[in-house]
Amino acid sequence: MKDKVLEVKNLSVGFLSHGRKVNVIRNVSLDVYRGETLAIVGESGSGKTVFTKTFLGMLDANGYISSGEILFNGENLAPKTKHREWKGIRGKKIATIFQDPMTSLNPLLTIGYQIAEVLKLHHGLTMKEAKEEAVTLLEKVKIPDPRARLDDYPFQYSGGMRQRVVIAIALACRPEILICDEPTTALDVTVQSQILELIKELQKEYKWTTIFITHDLGVVANVADRIAVMYGGQVVEYGTAEDIFYRPQHPYTWALLSSLPQLGTKNEPLTYIKGNPPSFVDEIIGDAFAIRNDYAMRIDHVQDPPMFKVSETHYAKTWLLDPRAPKVEKPIIIQNLRERMKKAAEELKRELGDNYE
Amino acid sequence: MNKLDHQLNTLEKEVKTKKPGLLSHVPKPREGGYDPVVEFKNVQIGYKRGNVERVIVRDLNLDIIRGEIFGLVGESGSGKTTVGRALIRVVPISKGEVLYNGVRISGKISRALSRELKQKMQMIFQDPSASLNDRANVDYIVSEGLRAFHMYKNEEDRLETVEEMMRRVGLRPEHLKRYPHEFSGGQRQRIGIARSMIIRPEFIVADEPISALDVSIRAQVLNLIKEFQKELNMTVLFIAHDLSVVKYISDRIGVIYNGNIVELTSAERLFEMPLHPYTKSLLSAVPIPDPRVESKKKIVVYHPQMHQYTSDDMPALYEIEPGHFVRANQKELKEYKEVIKKAQGGKA
Amino acid sequence: MGTYLIGYTAIALVVVFVIFVNLVSRRIIFKNNLKMQQIFAHPLLLYSLRRIGSALISILLAITATFFLIHLKSRGVMICKQAIGTWDKLGESIRELHCANLKARLGITDNWFLDLFRYYYKILPFPKTVCESYDVGTIVGAETIYTVTNQNCRNFILDLGTVFFLGGGHNGKFVLDLISEKMVISFKIGIIAIFVELLLGYPMGILMAKYKDGVFDKIGKTYIITIDAIPGVAYYYIWMAIFAGLGLPTMYDSSNVVTYIAPALTMGFTGMAGIALWVRRFMLEEFNSDYVKFARAKGLSENRIMYTHILRNAIVPLVRSIPAAILGALLGTFYIEKIYGIDGIGGLLVVSESQNDYFVLQGIIVVAALISIVSYLAGDIVTAMVDPRVSFTKE
Repeated sequence: MKDKVLEVKNLSVGFLSHGRKVNVIRNVSLDVYRGETLAIVGESGSGKTVFTKTFLGMLDANGYISSGEILFNGENLAPKTKHREWKGIRGKKIATIFQDPMTSLNPLLTIGYQIAEVLKLHHGLTMKEAKEEAVTLLEKVKIPDPRARLDDYPFQYSGGMRQRVVIAIALACRPEILICDEPTTALDVTVQSQILELIKELQKEYKWTTIFITHDLGVVANVADRIAVMYGGQVVEYGTAEDIFYRPQHPYTWALLSSLPQLGTKNEPLTYIKGNPPSFVDEIIGDAFAIRNDYAMRIDHVQDPPMFKVSETHYAKTWLLDPRAPKVEKPIIIQNLRERMKKAAEELKRELGDNYE
Repeated sequence: MNKLDHQLNTLEKEVKTKKPGLLSHVPKPREGGYDPVVEFKNVQIGYKRGNVERVIVRDLNLDIIRGEIFGLVGESGSGKTTVGRALIRVVPISKGEVLYNGVRISGKISRALSRELKQKMQMIFQDPSASLNDRANVDYIVSEGLRAFHMYKNEEDRLETVEEMMRRVGLRPEHLKRYPHEFSGGQRQRIGIARSMIIRPEFIVADEPISALDVSIRAQVLNLIKEFQKELNMTVLFIAHDLSVVKYISDRIGVIYNGNIVELTSAERLFEMPLHPYTKSLLSAVPIPDPRVESKKKIVVYHPQMHQYTSDDMPALYEIEPGHFVRANQKELKEYKEVIKKAQGGKA
Repeated sequence: MGTYLIGYTAIALVVVFVIFVNLVSRRIIFKNNLKMQQIFAHPLLLYSLRRIGSALISILLAITATFFLIHLKSRGVMICKQAIGTWDKLGESIRELHCANLKARLGITDNWFLDLFRYYYKILPFPKTVCESYDVGTIVGAETIYTVTNQNCRNFILDLGTVFFLGGGHNGKFVLDLISEKMVISFKIGIIAIFVELLLGYPMGILMAKYKDGVFDKIGKTYIITIDAIPGVAYYYIWMAIFAGLGLPTMYDSSNVVTYIAPALTMGFTGMAGIALWVRRFMLEEFNSDYVKFARAKGLSENRIMYTHILRNAIVPLVRSIPAAILGALLGTFYIEKIYGIDGIGGLLVVSESQNDYFVLQGIIVVAALISIVSYLAGDIVTAMVDPRVSFTKE
C-alpha cells in the first residue's frame, strides 16, 4: 500500500457571507500518495482553489473549516487557525505556486532578495549564503546568467520568467508537497509546455508530491498520475489518468472531455456544458450537477449519490453506477475519444518527424 | 433656427437620403475570384522612445479574404495583438498602408470615414472584466453602439433590439438591469460580443477572446462567434496563441513570430504540412488530452538562430505551393520543396 | 565685492557641472572611460537635471503670469494715488511729475514687456547692483518739497524690489529681506509641526491598518474625524487655558521657544490625522495583493510581511509628499499665525494685498511658486529613488 502524504477526511468548508453561512466544500474525502502528481480538475467555482487553501490555512478571513480532518503525515492541520501555528509548514513542507506570476512577486524588491528571504527563514542562512544558494536555484529553473539576475526587479521579466522565479522560490525549501494553482493559465501555450516540463523534471529530481489545480484537461494529460474531478464543492470522480481519460464514468467528466476544442470538427458546433456552476448561496439538494446534466434521472434531483467503486483506483459519485440504474450510451464524442486521440497522435507524429518519441 | 432644430434637420436628411458611405462600395472580386476585404501593404508598426525606435511588426503584407475567419497565431510579443490594433486604428502604423474595400484606412483619414469604419469594424477584447464599464448596467453597455449610430427608431424599438440580442447570446432580458460584476467571465464575454454585434459590423477583430475563460466555457463563446459570422456574413480576424482553438475556428491561419509572418495557409494544410520550424514548435506545444500520448511527447523548442541567415541569402515570404506561404531563404526553400515532394510521393 | 565673487563662482560652477554631465552622458568626452560614464551618466542624475530644466520653465511661466495679473490691477493712476498720500491736495502738473517720478522708481513704464524683462533681469540669480531710492520727505500744500534719499545700493543676486506701501515700519526694506525674515519665523513653527506629524502620524496609520476594525482603529478614526471638525480657534483657547494653568507664557514671543509649542502642536495634531489616514489607506490596499499572499505561503511571519512587504510598498506613494510638506512650512498658514499672533509670512501675504504693495505681493507669489515647483521636483526625485519601476528614459 503506497504511503499517503495527505489524507483529507470528510472535509467541509464554509464562508460567512452577508451574515449567511455558505457551504463551499461539502464533505470531501481524498488521499494523496507520496511522490505522485495529483491533478484537481474543475471549472471556476467548483471549489478546487478553496480546497487546496485549507492545506495551508490560507482561507479568507471569513472562511472556516466546519468539519473534517486534514492529515499531513499523520498530523491534523484542520484545527490550526492562527498564522503562527503554520510556522514550519508553510513554505517549508508545503509550498505553493499561484496562478498569476505577474503579481506574485513584490514589485519593489529584487529577485535575489525574494529568494534569499525564504532561505534565511527556513534554513537560517546568512544573506550572503542565501544569495549563493539563490544562484543555484535560478540555474535549476533554467534562467540564464543567474548571478546577474539577482539584482533584477520583477517588472523587467516576462510572465514565463517570473513563473520560473516563483518555482525557484517554491523549491528553495525542498517541500514535501508542491501545490500548483493553475500555474500556466496566464501563460502562452509554448511557455506553458516549458513550465510544465520544468515542474516534471524538478519533481523527478526532488521527489516531492505535486498537487496540480487546473481547468485544462490537456494540461492534466501531460502531468497527472491521478486525477480528481471537482464540481459544486465535491469530488465527483477520481482515479488514475487512464481511468479518467479512457473510462470516465461521471456525466460531468464526460462533459468536460467533450468540450475540448482539440476535439472539434470544422463544421460541427462544439459541445459545451450549458448553464452555470452552482452558486453556493442556496442549499444544494441532490446532485449538484443534476440541472445541467443531460443524463440526470429523477433521483439526481432529490438525493445526493454516494461514491461508487469502479475499480481499486477508480471511484465516481453518480447514480448511473448504481446497479439499478438504466444503461446509458456515453456521448458519441467520448466513445470516439480514443479514436480521435489516436488520430491526433498520428498526425503529430507525422508532422514532427523525428522530434517525436 | 436654433441648434437643436438644425441638428434634427440634418439627421432627417441623412436618414432620407442615406448617402452610401465610402466603405459601402464593395469592389468587384479580382481575377480568379480573389476578393480581399482588408489588405496590409508593406506595413511596419513601431514606436519611438527618445532616440530608440522599436519595431514591432515588420514589412507586413497580408490580405484577409471576404467572409473568412483568419486566425493569427503567435506568442506574446510576436506582434499579433498590435496587428489587430493597427487595423482598428488604435495604434498608428509607421510605414505602408492598410486598405478596406480598396479604401485606405490607415494614417490620417476623414472624420466621416473614421466614423463609418467604427460601425463596420468591431473588436472583441481579451479581458472580459476590464473591457466592460463597471459603472454601467448591461442595457447601457449593449445599447451604446445603437445610440452612437442612431440605429433605432424609438425607445421601444431599441429595447426590443437589445432584448433580442441578449437572447441570441444566451442571456436573459432580466439581466439588462444588472452590472458587469454580477456576471461570470464567460457571461461578460458574451455581453461584450452582444455589444459589438448589435451594430451589425462587417468585420470583427477578436483579440484572444477566450484566453481568459475556463476551457469548458470557451466552446460557448467560439460557437457564438461562428454563428454570428455566418448570420451577418462577417469576416473575422481571430488572434490567439493556442493553435488548437484556431484550428477549429479558422479557414486560414497565419503564424507570426517576432513581427514577421513565418507561415500562412489554410487550417487543414497547416496541420498536414507544417514547414517552418516555429510552426512545428507551436504544434508540439498543443496539449493533447490523452495521457499516453502526452507522456511520450517531446516539445520542440524554437531557436531563431537555427536558421543561420546570412546577408547574402535573406529570408522572405514565398508561396511554396498554391495558397501556402512560408518565410524562408533560398536554401530553406529548396529543403521545404523536398519535404513536400517526399510527402506527396509517399501518398502516391 | 565678496558677495559678488561668491555669487559668480557659485553660478559658474553650476553651469560648468551641468555642461560637463551632458557632455559625458552624450559620450562626447570620456567616452571610453567606463568609470566616468557610470558616475556621470547615472540615470537618476540625468532625470533630475532634466526635471530641473522643465521646472525652470514652469517657474518662468509662473512668474510671467503673476506679473501680468498683478500689473493688470495696479497700473496707472491708481498707484500714484495710493503712494502719494496727499494726492488730492496736489496740483495737476505736480501730480504728473510726481507720478512719473514714482513710476520711474518703481520700474513701471508704458511698455509692459520692457517692464517684464526688467523684472526677469532683477530676478535672474546672478549678482548685480541695484540702487533703490526712497522718498523720505514730505509733501506740503500745493508745492512739493521732498528730498530724495539714495538708499543702499546693494549687490543683489535676487532682487524682488523694495517695500513701498506696506507700512508697519517695513517701508524701505528690500522685499527679499522682508520675506526671508518672515519665512524664518513661519518655518520655525512649521518644522516642529512636521516633525510631530510624521513621527506620530506614520506609526498611528500603521497600527490602525494592522489592527483594522480593532480598538485602536476605532479610536484612530474617531480622532481623525473630531480633530478636523473642531476649528483651530477652539484649540487656541484650550492651549491657552493649559498654558495659563501651568504658569507658562501664552503670547507668542519669537525668542521664547516655549511659545512655539502651542501653534506647532495645533498644526501637528491636525496634520497627523491626515497622514495617518493616508498611511492606513495605502497599507490596506496592499493587504490584499497577490504578492502578500505569496509571501504568506512562503511561510514568512506576519510581522515580516507587514514591514518588509506591505509598508515598503505603501510608502512609495507617501514619500512623494514629504518634500512638499517640509517646504510648505516655509509658506506658513495664515489662519494659525493670525490666531496666535505670529508675524509670519501668512500674515504678510494678506496684509500686502490689502495695502496694495504689489512688490511684496509679487515677491511672495514668485517665491511661493518657486517653492511649489521645487517641492514637486523633489517629490518626483524621491519617488524615483524609492521605486525601481520609474524609468528614466521618458519623463
